[in-house]
Amino acid sequence: MRCANRAPIGGIMRAGRIFSTFLFAIGVAALPLAGMARAADSDATDTAALKEIRAEMRQLREDRKRDREVIRSLEVKVQQLETKDSRVEVTTQQLQSTDQKLKETTLELQQTNQQVQSLQTKVNAPIATPQFGNAVERYLGSHSFTVTGAAGGQFVYDQQSGALDGLHHASQNSFFFDWEPMILYRPADWILFQGVFSAGFGATGTGTDLSTADFQIFLNKYMTVVGGLYDQPFGDWYEAQSPMWVNRFVTAPLPFGVEPVVPPGELGLQLRGGLQFGKLGQDLDYTVWGGNGPNFSSHVLGAAMSSPTSIASAESNGKSIGARFRIYPLPVDSEMGRLELGASTYNGKWLNGNWFNSWGVDFNYFIGNLQARGEWLESYRQMPMGQSTDHRQGWYVQAGYFLTGLKIPGIPEVINNYLRRFEPLVRYSGVNQRGVSTADIQGATGVGLGGTQVGLVPDFGINGSPATYAPHSREVALALDYWIAPSIVWQNEFDIELPRAGGLFVSPTGVETPAGSIPNDHAFLSQFTIGF
Amino acid sequence: MMKKIFVAIVLATLAIGFGSPGARVSAQEQDNMSPAEHKRLFREGAKLWPVYCNTCHNARPGGEKAPYEWDMIMMHMRTLGNFPQEDTQAILEYLKAR
Repeated sequence: MRCANRAPIGGIMRAGRIFSTFLFAIGVAALPLAGMARAADSDATDTAALKEIRAEMRQLREDRKRDREVIRSLEVKVQQLETKDSRVEVTTQQLQSTDQKLKETTLELQQTNQQVQSLQTKVNAPIATPQFGNAVERYLGSHSFTVTGAAGGQFVYDQQSGALDGLHHASQNSFFFDWEPMILYRPADWILFQGVFSAGFGATGTGTDLSTADFQIFLNKYMTVVGGLYDQPFGDWYEAQSPMWVNRFVTAPLPFGVEPVVPPGELGLQLRGGLQFGKLGQDLDYTVWGGNGPNFSSHVLGAAMSSPTSIASAESNGKSIGARFRIYPLPVDSEMGRLELGASTYNGKWLNGNWFNSWGVDFNYFIGNLQARGEWLESYRQMPMGQSTDHRQGWYVQAGYFLTGLKIPGIPEVINNYLRRFEPLVRYSGVNQRGVSTADIQGATGVGLGGTQVGLVPDFGINGSPATYAPHSREVALALDYWIAPSIVWQNEFDIELPRAGGLFVSPTGVETPAGSIPNDHAFLSQFTIGF
Repeated sequence: MMKKIFVAIVLATLAIGFGSPGARVSAQEQDNMSPAEHKRLFREGAKLWPVYCNTCHNARPGGEKAPYEWDMIMMHMRTLGNFPQEDTQAILEYLKAR
């Protein structure tokens, strides 16, 4: 830009200067020529010409001087423009820098605004209950501990109209109390410890018993390992129905009572789990286990089962294995109720290698206010010294109906409200076995057996009827439960013992006597239970 | 020989078990669940609670126990009832919501 301005000015100046010099040279050269050629012209003409030339030369000098001034003036302007241009450049750079800073600041402000809005939204939003609960749990710590279980008071009256041959009998009545706290301790969300001990005032006075105590380790969605002392996962009754507030009756069905067909508990390891195979509620589950194995009160035919046991009591290292599979085929949304079908087996060794095998099937169905369940089970025990096999079988079937929807016309609503809390039930159970050990019957103070005691006297949950010890015992139990709350119940049960004739009584020395006819019997039990 | 096979089966089972995906949902994971997931679990739990619980005993309302107690009780019930893990989680969601 600057060069473009200067070039024309320089060009004009050089052209003017050359032109003036040229004229001056011509003039100087023309002077002698003019003098020689026109010597004869007049002096006046020469003088005039010289004056004119001088005037032109003067004019040329003045022009040249003006040109220089113009050039100087233009150079000053150019310098001024150059100075201004550099200032503009600096200012532009400063403006660009400021603009960049402004952009950055604007972005930061936008981010800050977003953060503020997000925090404000969180602060204003009401905290959800589960989140609140979880927050409290985290505050309380990861290890948690609680106590559940049940307690119950009971009155038992047994008529005992007749007794077994040679055994004392008399009508019995007594109060009992039992407290069975369950402690749950969770050190982490993959492991749980549970333990139940029973403390009660029973037939032999105050006593305690460790019912169950085990660790539950949740390996993954489909596998849980249980290790310790646990209810036998055979069928449904021992594991799911034995807690006093869960059992709809006061007593256990005969196959799980004083003459059990399979051992009530085990000490060992389980692997178990469940999975959904179809729609919601269509499930399969499995349980496999191994343990110390079965044991019996003596080596004679019909001896009561007692387990779990220590190695010393088992008299062998025989161990046991078991398996149970259950299926629930009805989807929840079908509204056809809940059906459970199961099959179990438990096998082991006792007394230095003699085998014990058992199997069973069970069902459970409920829909609305109706619930029914039942089991069939058999066991075979190899006897020592060539005796024939100790074969036992047992069964029960029961049904109950909640009167929740009952409304009897003409009765005050307050009465109807009371009636709706009742659940009438009926159960039929029986046991068949070749023989029964008289030592077990006479052992009225028998303690242990996983909380079960034997004898002719009643005990907590046992009506004490001699008829329940018959080789072919049968029982019809009628019950009327009054549900004060889902886990608080007043239960009343009337037992009608209808034993069949046949079978053997076996003495401790193995002497077998035909049982003959066993008298029928009646018993009444009333129990108040709280599950907590 | 039988004992060796039994021990091998047990060890293999435990190895498979410990190597498999997680068995439970922590409180932190529950917090991170979307509201839609919470709703889905709650609805399933509302269906399963009366069915699973009443299979053995009367279904007890969620308000009877504190949420941290339900965590333990449902772990125990999952073992006893052999409930699928997702169903246990759904019932727990329902019980904790009371």
